[in-house]
Amino acid sequence: MTAVAAKPQAGAAMNPAAMAVGIVLLLVFLGVAYYLSPGMGLMALIGIIIGGVLIGFGVHFVPVGGAPAAMGQAPGIATGVAMLAAGAGLAGLFGGAWAAEQGLVIAVVTGGIGGGLMMAITCMMVNFVYVFGMGIPAASGKVAKDPITGDSQAEYKSQGTEGHGLPFISFVGGVIGGILGGAGGTLIYIELLDLYKATLPTVMGATAAQVLPIAVAAAGMFAIGLFLVNAVLTAYNITGTIEGPHDPKFKRWPRSVVASAVASALCGLVAILIVVPLPI
Amino acid sequence: MTVKVEVIEGGIPHTKVMLAGLVCTIVCLYLAYLNVFTNTEMFSFFGGLAAVAAIVWGSHTIKVLCSYGIGTGVPSAGMIAFGSGVIAMLLATKFGIAAPIVALILAAIIGVILGYLANEVLNMKIPVMIQSLTELAMVGALSLMGFAVLITGSFTFTGLTTGTITLFGALSLPSYQVSFIGGGLVAVAFLLGAIAVQHPFNACLGPGWKQDRMFMLSAECGFLSMIVASVMAFALINHASALIALLIAVIGWAYTYNEYIVLSKRDAAAWLDSKPIPDVEGH
Repeated sequence: MTAVAAKPQAGAAMNPAAMAVGIVLLLVFLGVAYYLSPGMGLMALIGIIIGGVLIGFGVHFVPVGGAPAAMGQAPGIATGVAMLAAGAGLAGLFGGAWAAEQGLVIAVVTGGIGGGLMMAITCMMVNFVYVFGMGIPAASGKVAKDPITGDSQAEYKSQGTEGHGLPFISFVGGVIGGILGGAGGTLIYIELLDLYKATLPTVMGATAAQVLPIAVAAAGMFAIGLFLVNAVLTAYNITGTIEGPHDPKFKRWPRSVVASAVASALCGLVAILIVVPLPI
Repeated sequence: MTVKVEVIEGGIPHTKVMLAGLVCTIVCLYLAYLNVFTNTEMFSFFGGLAAVAAIVWGSHTIKVLCSYGIGTGVPSAGMIAFGSGVIAMLLATKFGIAAPIVALILAAIIGVILGYLANEVLNMKIPVMIQSLTELAMVGALSLMGFAVLITGSFTFTGLTTGTITLFGALSLPSYQVSFIGGGLVAVAFLLGAIAVQHPFNACLGPGWKQDRMFMLSAECGFLSMIVASVMAFALINHASALIALLIAVIGWAYTYNEYIVLSKRDAAAWLDSKPIPDVEGH
């Protein structure tokens, strides 16, 4: 039942032809947005793409350990990429949504801080459990010295493992990832909220105050959907586990940036079409 | 993570599961449209049945996809299914009676592009990736639409965004806040579906995987979500219709739960009905 057929290796190689197709698709989606709604819709779509790219790039920083980390055999937080990214991003999104009234910059910064705070607390408690609960020190298996503190890692690493616990560089990576993810999620939400607040009253024939719940809920829902799509695509990019910004897998980020940009452009275009009259 | 962990052995082939799931879901969604012809909300429960059918189909798609070691965990498949599905579904509601078909097509387009991105740009090179992500987006869109129909009795944009509030028991006013989207019920339906679709394979995977047992668990998860959704329906449709949906959900859940326990006992290597430790007097 097991190990019947090997699948082609999902390596770190880039696929230039596919990247080119992706960029063409991105331009096509932008062109459609420009054709349908040259002003507001296009601006919103650009904001959404930037937000999506921030999420896709940010997830690479988060130390994801998966099941091996739960057994103390690999460094990182012991859960999957999608869960961790969704946790950090949604915490940031909720934080940013509270500050939506105060303008784009404050809301995005608040979202970033929300996501970063969530990841900082998670990383600290994870290390608490590792050190005091499981009795293992933090050691990276991918680098000889921690790039920030310069502490050597090999002495603390148990034989037969890829490292364990959460080294300082992974902690910092987690916080950076949370900040980028939270800011990206909030940016998507704010762009969609502004668009819906401006256009829904005419689409639905109601006053701005009446449609506010619809605008907030629809923008929030689209932001969550976009966030999950970007997070899972990034999870596919790093195929499971990553230690943080010092991991060799981190170098795969250009692929993920292209994929996130195209996916966000596609989903963002659909989200914009809901309020733009279609020329049929 | 470079080997295929399991192959499909025996059971119904995936194409048949997919077609059956697709037809059941679409038919159930359109049966719910009887609401409009008969001017009642009695047929809302068909939305819940559509969601259950889509979830059974989706769990098998996840099995096909996650049999290849994708290395990200099974829950991520449920999350991308509903993440892409909710986007397609919300736009499709603008197309009136054609909404289920439009949701299907739109989700397929989104799924194909996401599958291409994952397979080629991200270099996953998994043979079933494009087909699976396409199906998962359809499952997400259709089961969310099913829950929307169950809760509101309608799948049009107006129906999902407009509700009524009754003041002093007599005066009824239209309200956008008491609605599926405006009230945020869409977020609850989102997670009810996403968890129901990813859990069955996550719970049943391994060398002892049996197709019928996983299907029964999928149906059980679907009905369990339907119970919660039909409780929420009390807020938006009349109580008799919501009660019908709740009864159907509870009966369906009880039956499938029972059957699932029977199948689990069948597949267990050895099963001993150990009673609780007896209280012996005087020790």
